[in-house]
Amino acid sequence: MSMQKYIVKRIFQIFLTLIIIMTIMFILFRMMPGDPTAFMLDTRMTPEHKAIIRAQFGLDKPIWYQYLFYLRNFFRGNFGRSFYYARPVYDLVKEKLPATILLWTGAYIISYSLGITLGKIIAWRRGGKLEFGSTLFGLFFYCMPIFWVGLIALWIFSYKFGFFPLGGLKGPDVWSDPSSGMLLKAYDVLKHVTLPLSVLTLAFFAGSMLVMRTSMLETLREDYIMTARAKGLPEKTIRDRHAARNAMLPVVTTFAIAVAGSVGGGVLTETTFSYPGLGKMIVDATLTFDYPLAQASFLFIALLVLVANLVADILYAYLDPRIVY
Amino acid sequence: MEEQKPRTKWEARIQQWKKSWEMYKENKIGLVGIGLLVFFFVFAVLGFVMPHIDPIYHPMTGFDPFIVSKSPPSITHLLGTDFWGRDIMSQLMSGAQIAFLIGLTAAVVAVAIGTTVGLVSGYYGGTTDTLLMRTVDIVLTLPFLPLIIVVSAAVGKQSIWVLVLIIALLSWGGISRVIRSQTLSLKQRPFVEAARVAGATDARIIFRHIGPNVLPLSFLYMSFLVLGAILTEAGVSYLGLGDPTRVSWGIMLQWCRTTGSTFTWYWMLPPGLCITLMTLSFYLIGRAVDEIVNPRLRKR
Repeated sequence: MSMQKYIVKRIFQIFLTLIIIMTIMFILFRMMPGDPTAFMLDTRMTPEHKAIIRAQFGLDKPIWYQYLFYLRNFFRGNFGRSFYYARPVYDLVKEKLPATILLWTGAYIISYSLGITLGKIIAWRRGGKLEFGSTLFGLFFYCMPIFWVGLIALWIFSYKFGFFPLGGLKGPDVWSDPSSGMLLKAYDVLKHVTLPLSVLTLAFFAGSMLVMRTSMLETLREDYIMTARAKGLPEKTIRDRHAARNAMLPVVTTFAIAVAGSVGGGVLTETTFSYPGLGKMIVDATLTFDYPLAQASFLFIALLVLVANLVADILYAYLDPRIVY
Repeated sequence: MEEQKPRTKWEARIQQWKKSWEMYKENKIGLVGIGLLVFFFVFAVLGFVMPHIDPIYHPMTGFDPFIVSKSPPSITHLLGTDFWGRDIMSQLMSGAQIAFLIGLTAAVVAVAIGTTVGLVSGYYGGTTDTLLMRTVDIVLTLPFLPLIIVVSAAVGKQSIWVLVLIIALLSWGGISRVIRSQTLSLKQRPFVEAARVAGATDARIIFRHIGPNVLPLSFLYMSFLVLGAILTEAGVSYLGLGDPTRVSWGIMLQWCRTTGSTFTWYWMLPPGLCITLMTLSFYLIGRAVDEIVNPRLRKR
């Protein structure tokens, strides 16, 4: 099968998984105690308003009809109105999505490149002080609750030294001032994003480094490494081109497996730093019983995870030419 | 001295355990893990004793009448008091109890589900296998913490047992894959054939003949599941979606944040440190067991 066919197949799979996830959500929110329509109808709404929503989401129809209606609404981008903000959920999600993508993909890219590079070096120089130090360091960050690391970072860098703002993404003084230019705005965002990005990077980094180290040690015992040495190739070439490239494959696989678990770290980091992204929104929506918003945020986070999985699969095929789909 | 032949089944088992312990003792990392675990166990047990010494050491209701606010470490309160004048040390002890409770129960349930699914899937193969493994694929792509958050929104009840159940139901995916691949190779072995010829049923072959052989692997994954469950509970509680009737480390950090005391070091640092050390202990134990179960990793 060619690569394009494979991608089409995978996209179809993602679509299917998404429908299954949505079905779980559908069942879950209809199992709620109390009024089974409460997840769409806020108690503070007027009766007229309730009637409109009921008709719009088919809540007065039989359950199978509601289900189909729910799927159709989703693919049309109609998620209902947020109880708390009294605005269409779609608009709210659209507002928060870029911030989340910036933080999460940024953290994944930086941490995995750092982890792969460092893992490669410490496996190459087996038993050095660097290996001991970075393994210990990585281990601690692997076991630390990420929100606690965030709190400490806030305490030291924002509270004690005042290097970074306490939270948010845009400083009101810069963004409300019409005279501030693009550069100033970019600098402002950078200042806000540095701390959460560093914390999230630290959290993801340890895992990738430890996996890379193990995988690299395994690869270094292969025959083709011996061959490369016998050929008299420079050390650096053997390390980077012969060993590291093959050793990277398990790292990509673990990324695909780990991503579903590690987005939790993104949610916790966003909450700790009051970062206006999807993760903070899902928590706030849940705490204010804003069911349509919580559901939609979840579906979008799930979609991000599925896309990340797809990217990992494509990357794997690119790195390992032996893979034929 | 010649090794005595075991007379009963239990003696044989005890000898087996002793042998495993001898092997485990060689591993320094594993010993550090066990040491930390024993420390937290004692700490958790002390938590039951403290309120009986003086009611002000009760983690939930022990408001110190002389101190009704935050206070730094002192003689009566070794680690200080929280916003309402309750002893932080006693709260930490209560947190250790909750961590053990959640970590172990969630991990046992998840391991039971995962091992059963893996065994059944690997043994029967075919359609059963495909169906079960596709389910695993989906379970593994569900974003874990966000799902727990929405589920807690839908369920509405913030009970520790609901949390344990959700964590367990979401974390058996990885282990079932490992057990499945192990089962695939085990079922080709002669002893399975022998059992079948002797007339053993499928269920008996799965649970009495193949099952015991995959158990070491299950135990290995259990320690990592305990770690994950503890971290997850802490995260959920920190977000304010935990069980507010029990004092866990995550709840402590949530109280610390919501009362605007994030920068009160003697309140913010200890719970996180406890979470780190406890998860570290399970990680180290897991790594040590890993080296025993997979001899390939030894002496490298």
